[in-house]
Amino acid sequence: MEAATASGEDCWEGAAGTLLSMSPGSSLSVVYHSLFGSHDDLLLLEVDEHLLPEMLDQRVTIRGQPDEDAVLCTASATYALKFVGTSNTVCLVPPGNPSSKNQQSRCNSNGGPDSPAAAPQTAVSVLKVASGNMELVQVAPRLDKLKSLLRKRPYRLEEDEDAEDMEDGVKYSSGLYRWDDLVNMIQASDEELMAGLRSLSAVEINGYWRVVSERSMDDMLRMLLNNSMIQGWKISELKEDEVVPVLVADGFPHTIVLHCLGTFGLKKEGNLGDCVWELDEKRVCLHFAKQALSGGKMKLGNFMEKWISGLPHGMQGDLEMLQGEVLYETLGVETWVHAFSVSDLPSTPADRFAALFQERPKWAWKDLQAYVRDLRVPGLSSEALLIKYTRRTQPTADAEPIFSAR
Amino acid sequence: MQIQVKCSCGAGDCPEWAIVELQGVVEAHPSVGNQIQNLEIGRLCCTSQLSRLSLILQANYTFTVGYHELSGTKMTLKKPLLVLRKRKEKALDGAPPPKTELEVIGIIRHRILFKSRPKALISKPQTKEKRTG
Repeated sequence: MEAATASGEDCWEGAAGTLLSMSPGSSLSVVYHSLFGSHDDLLLLEVDEHLLPEMLDQRVTIRGQPDEDAVLCTASATYALKFVGTSNTVCLVPPGNPSSKNQQSRCNSNGGPDSPAAAPQTAVSVLKVASGNMELVQVAPRLDKLKSLLRKRPYRLEEDEDAEDMEDGVKYSSGLYRWDDLVNMIQASDEELMAGLRSLSAVEINGYWRVVSERSMDDMLRMLLNNSMIQGWKISELKEDEVVPVLVADGFPHTIVLHCLGTFGLKKEGNLGDCVWELDEKRVCLHFAKQALSGGKMKLGNFMEKWISGLPHGMQGDLEMLQGEVLYETLGVETWVHAFSVSDLPSTPADRFAALFQERPKWAWKDLQAYVRDLRVPGLSSEALLIKYTRRTQPTADAEPIFSAR
Repeated sequence: MQIQVKCSCGAGDCPEWAIVELQGVVEAHPSVGNQIQNLEIGRLCCTSQLSRLSLILQANYTFTVGYHELSGTKMTLKKPLLVLRKRKEKALDGAPPPKTELEVIGIIRHRILFKSRPKALISKPQTKEKRTG
């Protein structure tokens, strides 16, 4: 059927309209089209009525690498494509006019018992017999790959100096990704991809989406706090117009200064309509807690001392802030604490629970909660996720439930 | 890799295709061989429009294929089917690998479904086709 595949669909006159508008008492002939064949380039896709406008308005893409199962992305959602086969004979009748050539042909078995003899000899044509159709199932975006791509080469403040020595831009861009690269590599809709970048605290630097190294964020934040002290800025009211030029003059790139304010602060409008940032106590305290723990696990007492003493003036650290970031374990009479961040864990439920049960075989609900509350699977509640991936034990009715691997 | 799903027909004006669906398999008489293009499968008659009780306009059909008569109805699909056509751009020498494109070329909202077992017709003239299964 090479000839047929090569030809445009203009030649596929099948008279679907005639077929669908038959009036009672009329009859017509159903024939194989003169271009009937396997037409492997034709696919049927079942689409919810609410997705039709996006489909017809060309706002939908298929994304995936050759070794991945393709997904269909609208502006805001990701769908898996599933092929559903059928054992029925599904004859596809294209639109267009009934072909006159087909009309006289092979009508010797003229009509069923009900068809009036005088009925016009109309024929509709079957172009292909479909073996099934594709269905869409909404799925969570596949963002774990985004995390691993961006973390391969985090941005460091020093690299701007390196870049000046580097002659060719080719080397600069290796291992870096533009938005268009990410769209080609990540199976997520545009909105989900943007949300994923935001949750990784990624920032667009020179056209590439990067995460900033912990070390550089730390340098940046400390410089901001030092300057606040020296210049007498209130950390609850940092004026963008004032703060940014000072830090830029200190040699920090403009983008990174703003990224630091955005990561640790909340933007609000000042009295004069200017842009004012309020440093967020929880985010800043969390950053210093992570820094304090970066050397490995510590006794709780030592950690608290190190953490609290390092906090900027006026900020209060509270263990509540560290949910989903640190874990406690009791060894003998001592409580030890170590960093265990939910943002380092896989985002698909099966992998997430595997990583959690690898960390510890049994979880109390109060500890587990912070590590599973961000899991979202379309069509599954969080209770259903727990039932699917954990075994819940509760020795007595009023005891705390314990979750272990299934 | 990203494939844009194109559509040149515009939102309100997508050409409507149709489905004639029946159980089992239609087989051409062995004498026809592989050249079944233009061959008649059968005759389709629209018999009545009924079901005023349930206020659903239901068209009934009979489909005569060889010695068999099938009865069926026209149904609106719960969810529409889009007809997509996959195109590979012609690769030029030295050009990057050909890009695949998908284009919406039609929409299917109705099918005429024959789901009952066929009824045998006794006295029929010799036909070119028969249905099995």
